[in-house]
Amino acid sequence: MSNLRAPTARQAPQPSILQTLQATDMIESKPVLPAEILVAILDYLPVPDLMRFARASRRMREMVYDDTRWVARLRNMGCWDEAEARRRFDDAMKRRHELAAHAAAATATTLAPGATATGPTAVVGALPPPVSTTLFDASVEEERQKQLQQRRQRQMSQVRDGFETLQVSGGQAATPPKLPVQAPVSSQNDPSKDLEALLQVIKNVKSVRGHAREEYGKIYGALGPFYFDLAKARTHTDPIVFQVFRDPESQARMLANLRLFAKSDWSQGCTQREEKLGTMVTIFESAVLREFEQGYEFWDVGGRMRKYAHVLDILNGGNAGVELFIHKHPIFTDRDVLANPMDCVNLAPADAISLEPSRRFFDVLAVKVNAQAAIIERIFPSPGPVFSAFVEKVREDIVAEYTTPLFDETHERSIPSYLKAVSGLFEQTLQFFRALTPPKDTNAPQKQAAKEFALKLFEPHLDLYLQDELDYFTKETEHKVGEWEKKLSAQDTSVESFYMASFNNRQADKKDFLTSFKKVVMMPISVLPTSLSLPGLPMGSPFASSKPTIVTNGVAVSPQPSRPHSPSPSSLASTGTVDQSSSPLPGGKAPTDELAAKAALMTSRLEGIKSLFSIEVALSLVHSAKASLGRVAVFIQLGGQAGGEAREQCEAIFVTLLRILGGRHVKPGFDKAVTHLSQYNPREVSQHDKGGVAPLVTFIELVNVGDLISQMIDVFYEQQLAGPKIADRNDFLDPAGLAKKKFEQMLDESVAAGLNKGIDVLMDEVEYICATTQLPTDYNPGASSEPSSAGGGATATEKEGKAATPRLQSSFGGGAADFDIGPTATAQRVRDLVASHTNMLVGSTDKSMLDVFNGEVGLRLFGAVCKHLKRQRISTEGAIKLIADMNLHFEYIRTLKNNDLLAYFRALRELSQIYLIDARHAKEMATIIADGDRFGGIFRAEEVYEYAERRSDWYQVRKDVERAMYGRDCVVM
Amino acid sequence: MSDSKGKASQKVTLASNDGSHIEVDRVVAERSMLIKNLIEDLGDDAIATAPIPIPNVNDPVLRKVVEWCDHHRGDSLQSNEEENDNRKKTTDIEEWDQKFMQVDQEMLFEIILAANFLDIKALLDVGCKTVANMIKGKSPEEIRKTFNITNDFTPEEEEQIRRENEWAEDR
Repeated sequence: MSNLRAPTARQAPQPSILQTLQATDMIESKPVLPAEILVAILDYLPVPDLMRFARASRRMREMVYDDTRWVARLRNMGCWDEAEARRRFDDAMKRRHELAAHAAAATATTLAPGATATGPTAVVGALPPPVSTTLFDASVEEERQKQLQQRRQRQMSQVRDGFETLQVSGGQAATPPKLPVQAPVSSQNDPSKDLEALLQVIKNVKSVRGHAREEYGKIYGALGPFYFDLAKARTHTDPIVFQVFRDPESQARMLANLRLFAKSDWSQGCTQREEKLGTMVTIFESAVLREFEQGYEFWDVGGRMRKYAHVLDILNGGNAGVELFIHKHPIFTDRDVLANPMDCVNLAPADAISLEPSRRFFDVLAVKVNAQAAIIERIFPSPGPVFSAFVEKVREDIVAEYTTPLFDETHERSIPSYLKAVSGLFEQTLQFFRALTPPKDTNAPQKQAAKEFALKLFEPHLDLYLQDELDYFTKETEHKVGEWEKKLSAQDTSVESFYMASFNNRQADKKDFLTSFKKVVMMPISVLPTSLSLPGLPMGSPFASSKPTIVTNGVAVSPQPSRPHSPSPSSLASTGTVDQSSSPLPGGKAPTDELAAKAALMTSRLEGIKSLFSIEVALSLVHSAKASLGRVAVFIQLGGQAGGEAREQCEAIFVTLLRILGGRHVKPGFDKAVTHLSQYNPREVSQHDKGGVAPLVTFIELVNVGDLISQMIDVFYEQQLAGPKIADRNDFLDPAGLAKKKFEQMLDESVAAGLNKGIDVLMDEVEYICATTQLPTDYNPGASSEPSSAGGGATATEKEGKAATPRLQSSFGGGAADFDIGPTATAQRVRDLVASHTNMLVGSTDKSMLDVFNGEVGLRLFGAVCKHLKRQRISTEGAIKLIADMNLHFEYIRTLKNNDLLAYFRALRELSQIYLIDARHAKEMATIIADGDRFGGIFRAEEVYEYAERRSDWYQVRKDVERAMYGRDCVVM
Repeated sequence: MSDSKGKASQKVTLASNDGSHIEVDRVVAERSMLIKNLIEDLGDDAIATAPIPIPNVNDPVLRKVVEWCDHHRGDSLQSNEEENDNRKKTTDIEEWDQKFMQVDQEMLFEIILAANFLDIKALLDVGCKTVANMIKGKSPEEIRKTFNITNDFTPEEEEQIRRENEWAEDR
């Protein structure tokens, strides 16, 4: 640049001195305005005057050229990009640094790196760069500038007169062929290209710091003439814009450009000019709109509609066209689409609703709307927003018109169908909106859009619906529970007959106690769930078809997920098969066996407990909860506030389910069972060889049912709430989780309370058995002939056990002569009784609770055995039997795997050995009695001494023993 | 409340740099931010007793300014926030102001300077607009004369600037 300017610079001094002299003459009187005021004045000047002002002096030029002045104009037009400017600036700075570094490296150059850029100009001194107001001297821009200048110079030389040309820059020919004043056509450039350049001018603006004036110049040069001409025009035919550009598209582009340009005009009179422009645009717009409408009437999609939609879009975003298009769209009067929503109600049976008509309605609508999507895409340049506006209108005018009356109607008719309608239609709507294929340029994902549409559509109904759903569910479940309670008595008989069969069955299958007990307990469970897992079975319960989820995953059947000790489905199945195969046997036997029938009658009376709550009711409650949940859950996907409300409602439904199931159904059942249990008195029960304490058995069964329900709830929770993320498993404040915990806790507490009572009952039974069946001859064979007080007492208490006596006598009648070393029948029965009851609980309740239960049972059993022992008289011969009995107990306790308990029974076993010692060895006996270690600290010597007193020959050995224990000199008073 | 009422009728005296005193209503004087702040700083009593010196403004100009202020006493003060928006400033000069500004150039500049000194934004704007209208369509030489500017360009330089900005030429 400096090269170019060098020659001019040399000539500079002389004229400027002259002018200075001239200027000084005029100074004297005139006040001089300070720069700040001049700047303020400049703000009010139109652009041409600004440029003349710039020519007044260097200072004036600096003021005028000040970049901020021009950036402001560009920014007002919305074509100044600060980020771009900064990037350019940074790039330039980087390059400068690189250059500087380069220069520093090449130290041969005498010039300082900073001087390389500014140096030459400073040396020449004549001309600062044209844009001296900013420090922008990036080499690249400089280079570009230089080229521009050169080109300009060339053009200057071409156009000799140097006045008429309106060349802004090399490529930017803002020639005025359209101006009426200056008709000449730009000679160098193709006019059509010129026109295109005019249209593009605003787009081509760059944001370069220090060059804002030049960029603005390009725009001004291109648009200024049209703008000022238009402002002067009187009619809409006058403006040259419409003469130069013949096709409406270019006209629209130009008008849009001019509107932008008007924003940078703030010299006086700009408001009028803009107004004028506005009216011109309006005139133009209405003309275009008319054309568009005509095209619309002829459905000239690809032709006029498309063309004028694009024109409108260019002009001002095309809102008017879009509005017209949507407003007059034939779909809103289409008979095929407008279905009668009442079909859903009318075509269905009374109080029900069929969603088939609505599905058809949505299908038809979706097809039509999708067809429109294609058309919109053809007509409009930016079809996305148009389409969404269109869908919006469809939603308002068609879908809402369809759904709202339907909801109102069903709400009036019946709540269940209303609930179904809302949920079902929501699902359908969502699907409908998802099925829409928006034009390609839509950037918002359709899923999101679908949700928004659906939300808008359903928002007014949502609150009412959610409330109704919960109310309905509460009402229904409460009704079900109430119904069941009413039916209780009637139900009793049917349930019992079934239960009796299984009970008999167990009787028949005496060989394995454990298996049969388990089977009895598992029977009602295994039967019901089997019908679930095999819906094809003829015995199918109502839930077989209506609870698809539980059936499909089969988890509900197997209690495995929460309780590791629960029997596996295979074991259930096996017991089931055993049951089926063996049932004919007892079935035929039952009526013939008088005892069994009696027992069954007795049991069936107590079996009432079983009807205290029913797994069927629980299942049906869970089922309706699932239905409600399923309906509400579809709304959760809406997200946001509506989704949150739906989620809360889901949890509320779950909480209600647990409240009703737990509070109204299970808890009272347990309470009643526990009451029954506590009222049990073994002395009033005639039958004791049934192998179990009837109420306890039923209670344990209840525990099993409760456990199954709990597992069912657990599965339900996992599947319906935690699975679809309705409830957060890890959130300990989550109402659903809390309710579930509360429910389980309630169950556990009930079970614990029941078991507590159960232990009492069990021990009562044990003691009763011991008291009634232990023959005095068992442990004292020698005394069988002579009347023993203990034995007499036992037979006396055996008032109602007459029926059993013959058999007992038959098996133990020859007890006196019988020297086999097996355990006595009493011990056997006690063991079996306890073992069977404890085994029944395995897997049905919490492991730790079971341990506590077993521990307690063991301790109490120990106490009972000790008590029993103290009532017996034991001979040396009988000791063998006693030892066998103790061994039996010990072995049983060992199966409980409880070491503390084992110690007790080991001591007991040791204790039983003192009876074996012959009277002659009294001394040794004394040693054993005093030997505390032998009994592991369980018995003290005094206690052992007490037991030793129970020897049948105690009075003979007593002296010797005492002497051995307390010393020879001791004499008993 | 009584204070504002008192304010309306309150008078202040302004002293121009050539010794003349002009008594004006306080509200009128307070069109000038300078005077307004001054009164606030000095307090009412000081104003009542002594005239306010306006050192940079002579009697004719001060009277002219007071005339303007009196006419515009009811106007709302424009806030400074609007200052940055170029388009807001662009309202045309109202008729009374146009007539008011029909003075010789020297006086016009004096008024502008006074308005600038006294910090009367609206008056300053009107002044600037008037000047802008005045130099519309004028040649650089005329502009120089108007503003008393020394030309420090060579003819070639001046021509270069013209060429640079040809796009802005009136047609």
